[in-house]
Amino acid sequence: MMRSALALVIFGGGLAQTTFPPALRVGDITPDIPLILVVLLALRRGPELGCLAGFVTGLLQDAAAGGFIGAQALTKTLIGFFIGQVGGRLWVREPLVQVPGLVLLSLAEGVARFLLLQIFHFPGSFGDLMLYIVLPQSIYNGFIGAAVVLTLIGAERLRGGARWR
Amino acid sequence: MRVRRVVLLVSVLGVCLLLLTLQTRGEGASAGQVVAFVTTPLQTVLTKINRSALGLWATYLDWKNVRAENRRLRAELERLRVDSLRVQETEDENGRLRRLLVLRDRLPLATIPGEVIAREWGWARSLTVNRGRGDHVLRMTPAIAPEGLVGRVVEVRSGTSIVQLLNDPASTVGATVQRTRTNGIVEGEPRGTTRFKYMARDGAAIQVGDLVVSSGLGGVFPKGIPIGLVGAVIDRGSALFHYATLTPVVDFGRLEEVLLLTGQTTQDLAAHFPTDR
Repeated sequence: MMRSALALVIFGGGLAQTTFPPALRVGDITPDIPLILVVLLALRRGPELGCLAGFVTGLLQDAAAGGFIGAQALTKTLIGFFIGQVGGRLWVREPLVQVPGLVLLSLAEGVARFLLLQIFHFPGSFGDLMLYIVLPQSIYNGFIGAAVVLTLIGAERLRGGARWR
Repeated sequence: MRVRRVVLLVSVLGVCLLLLTLQTRGEGASAGQVVAFVTTPLQTVLTKINRSALGLWATYLDWKNVRAENRRLRAELERLRVDSLRVQETEDENGRLRRLLVLRDRLPLATIPGEVIAREWGWARSLTVNRGRGDHVLRMTPAIAPEGLVGRVVEVRSGTSIVQLLNDPASTVGATVQRTRTNGIVEGEPRGTTRFKYMARDGAAIQVGDLVVSSGLGGVFPKGIPIGLVGAVIDRGSALFHYATLTPVVDFGRLEEVLLLTGQTTQDLAAHFPTDR
């Protein structure tokens, strides 16, 4: 049951990113929901689920975007695994950590993807990509991620159940 | 545990790299198609859900906007109605004043225009006009409207005058049937109607619809000012005189302005009043 729910969340998150952008757009920027999802799952469920979630959501994003299938899957897999590994040492309850943390992770994912795509002679300029796409999206991710974490913490407090790590 | 994690990571990364490598060799289309085969139906469903949700939201926003707009438009409509009434009122007043001015310019005697500022509609029937002693208005000054005779001034005050209407019970005016030249007297009645009295039987070939005008006899009213139309002729058989009921040509209830005839003339003024009744 739990596994099905997780699969649905991962799969749905990946698809939602390709389906809902108009509803989430601020100016010309949309958040990277799968990345936020991967980070949250990795923090809660460890590197294995983080790794798989990153792979599935990244793959779905790649397929929907029509670019190189595997590029986002690879970077998100790495992010999921890495965060899952170090998650225990992160103070993710603090908004002061959540926002810059997600911003940095998003930036790192963007840089990693760019470097990977350079192998395949991706034509975009690094400066433009960072300035107009990756950086604004990273900031947006930071706030959305913080909002999601705070909502989850609030929900868990109300329920009196398991505490957020 | 640690080994399993590393194996998993390496496997997943391997798949990713394999996919990327296949694409660089021109075999990426099939990989994309496989992924699309799985994702397309779900994306379609999600898009539909998204559109429905957004559609509902858009409908709600539209409804809210329509409500606000409706409220605004109602207020505007109300304001426009008031404006329209004001414009209509001004137009009516302009029309009345223009006709009064035309009459004033045509008449061969001095006149003063006056505005009706009050009405007495009980036992006595009179109007209060905003012209008085300061305007050189004298007692017994005739008051007319563009349609015909209104009455006479019976009281002059410093800034106002009281005009006794033709239908006041105390009002009497020497009058003539325009068509037959039959003489008589127009009197007011307590119920607010007027009658043409003292018509000699031999000269009473008057008919319903005949116009009765002032006769000029008595020296108060100039000759030829329309008073009313014969509504009915009452024949009392063997009586020496009989009488006719009149419908005044002036609607006293709607009168807003009058002309006070301060000058004198012996001319017949009938030509200066409208003939189409």
